[in-house]
Amino acid sequence: MSEFVETISRSEDGRFLELLIGPQHPASGHMRLVAEVDGDVVVSLRPNLGYVHRSVEKIAEVKKFLQIIPLVERPSLADTTANNLAYVLALERLLGVEPPPRAQYLRTLLAEINRIHSHFYGIGIHGVMIGSSTAFMWAFGDREPLIHLAQELTGARITYSYIIPGGVRRDMPPDFPDKVEKVLRYIERRLEDYDKLYVRNPVVRARLEGVGVLKKEDAIRLGITGPNLRASGVPYDVRKADPYCAYPDIDFNVITREEGDAMARFLVRVGEIRESMKIIRQVLKKMPDGPIFAEKYYKMLPPNLKKYYEETKEVKFPGIFANLRAPAGESVARVEGGRGEVVIYIVSKGGMNPYRFRIVTPSFRNAVLFEHLVRNVRVADIPAIYGSLDYFPPEADR
Amino acid sequence: MMDLLDLILQPWIFIPLIFPGLTTAFLVLLGIIWAERKIAAKVQMRYGPLYVLKPLGGAIQMIADLLRYLFAEPIIPKDVDKLTFIFAPLILFGLSYLPTIVLPAGPGFTAISSEMSLLILLGLLTLSPVFTMILAWGSNNKFSLIGGLREGYLVTTYEIPLFLSALSMAVLYGTLDITAMVEAQKNVWGIFLNPLAAIVFLVLILISTSKFPFEIAEAESEIVMGPFTEYSGIFYGLVMGASYLKLYVLSLLYALIFLGGWYPLPSFLQNPPFLAGIMVFVKGLVIMFIAIFMRAIYPRYRIDQAIQIGWHKLVPLAILSIFLSLLVVYLGGV
Repeated sequence: MSEFVETISRSEDGRFLELLIGPQHPASGHMRLVAEVDGDVVVSLRPNLGYVHRSVEKIAEVKKFLQIIPLVERPSLADTTANNLAYVLALERLLGVEPPPRAQYLRTLLAEINRIHSHFYGIGIHGVMIGSSTAFMWAFGDREPLIHLAQELTGARITYSYIIPGGVRRDMPPDFPDKVEKVLRYIERRLEDYDKLYVRNPVVRARLEGVGVLKKEDAIRLGITGPNLRASGVPYDVRKADPYCAYPDIDFNVITREEGDAMARFLVRVGEIRESMKIIRQVLKKMPDGPIFAEKYYKMLPPNLKKYYEETKEVKFPGIFANLRAPAGESVARVEGGRGEVVIYIVSKGGMNPYRFRIVTPSFRNAVLFEHLVRNVRVADIPAIYGSLDYFPPEADR
Repeated sequence: MMDLLDLILQPWIFIPLIFPGLTTAFLVLLGIIWAERKIAAKVQMRYGPLYVLKPLGGAIQMIADLLRYLFAEPIIPKDVDKLTFIFAPLILFGLSYLPTIVLPAGPGFTAISSEMSLLILLGLLTLSPVFTMILAWGSNNKFSLIGGLREGYLVTTYEIPLFLSALSMAVLYGTLDITAMVEAQKNVWGIFLNPLAAIVFLVLILISTSKFPFEIAEAESEIVMGPFTEYSGIFYGLVMGASYLKLYVLSLLYALIFLGGWYPLPSFLQNPPFLAGIMVFVKGLVIMFIAIFMRAIYPRYRIDQAIQIGWHKLVPLAILSIFLSLLVVYLGGV
């Protein structure tokens, strides 16, 4: 009894309580949230970032150009294709290589498969943050068929490193379209179940509607991208604004909603899953025949690897590619990832490594947004808003 | 040997020790947590507990968990109030189990026969949340503090409609004795006479035992484990067990006052009261399954929304249910 020490800190007038949520907390992710609460109302919240900083930009300066492909995938594990694609697009602009049309379509295919499973990841985490363990398990379970598809295509589950300068690593297996169709039909069926159990659940509605409202002008002012921006009614999508790969030939809609609350952000993601399925079907229908690797680099392959490529439709780089030199200059590429716009900027001085490498991920913008939205909300709204942003700390820290 | 058996079969020993008391409560505790995990797993495309006794689907998983709780080191943080930190869970567990002694296991088979047994039971039920708040305060942790406050707010929310809806059944049957209330349901069950009170009471079971969608005091993604954040080892086992025990007591009460207790068992089978006890137990299990199944369907409400549901919907409905009971009594009674 005598040792009872008051360790609960308060603000000077004793009114506010400072809550340190994380990094050891079931729902904080790899960061610390410093929340000041007045009873059940959050007065302010500061996300304290940097716990999973991996120094991608600095490491890239000492890595060779091909080695950077797996490196850029590491920060955002659920959404690796966007980073992979953005980097390779920037590099190709620097090298002056244009991949053949079939490779463009294969890149689009993988990007959309990845977008769907990235959205499922976000939906699942959001679900468990407001207490629905079923949504969490379902979303993570339904992510699996898509990961299997990606594995079939690329050989890896999450970190594909599929997109390489001048094309893609492997061609599509012959029975791939059938498997895709099977998975898409399964996902369509499952989305109905989500609708019944989760979307129309009165408790979900009560928890998400009108919570964390992001106004249109604030969204633009804060530089938010991706589904979070579109949920506030701004129809901005890099795939439309600055088309790349096969997107100019594909017919799809940009999903927007006007409400700007947590529910709208969730529903935009569900809508985008449906749109991505539409894109995948079109891509498979329109997929052109031909090489998957740029002519310029094909010529450089030694005879045995040329033969291997013709037989298996798999690209193996000879050692000479490790010393790939990019001409001096700058290039920038942007890609619409699952969570928003990924921008990669490379400065080359003509050497074997980039002179400066810059990567702007959507999650870093969302960290700013998180702080902006969690003001004068309830303590229970912190996870509801956090999850709705699909915010991923490693991606923000890089 | 026969003397011993006779002694055990005395109601004042049988009820606290066998059914609905210690032994059954302990088995229910092990079974219901396993069932909760298994049912949620079924909905969520998982197996749930599996490897501990695989032929029975991991049925003794909870025994393994209990052993783990027993042998894990109960960590007592330096800055907690040690007296409350250690004793509050014990008292909480004991108080959650205590109300079983007034529950009848069969007609006339009671440990304490009182004309006020419903009131005694409701009174004993209100004691345990106080200790949740005390241990939350004694934990000296911000998350515990918030969890304890949430528990306190919820107590003020559910207690009044819980009493009102239970008492509306007392008005209906014209008695406060649980045994007499069951006897009054010989022809028609209470749930059909006053469905309003039955629904309100079921929702209040969810709130008072911290089940989804009202699992607010222990909201994991917000305040870690609420009042129980600092607990580990067997103390954690006790505090977690307490809410399931409360669910068990309330479910049996529900079976007795709304679902007809041991009826429709014909009267020649009611004595000795084994079959009657099993009847009550099975009905109670159904209510427990409903309560734990909610985990698979609903997320959790916010505290302000739960309080709003309590005061804006459940309190008026509970008052209405009293008038409904009065109407039924006026129209002819039971």
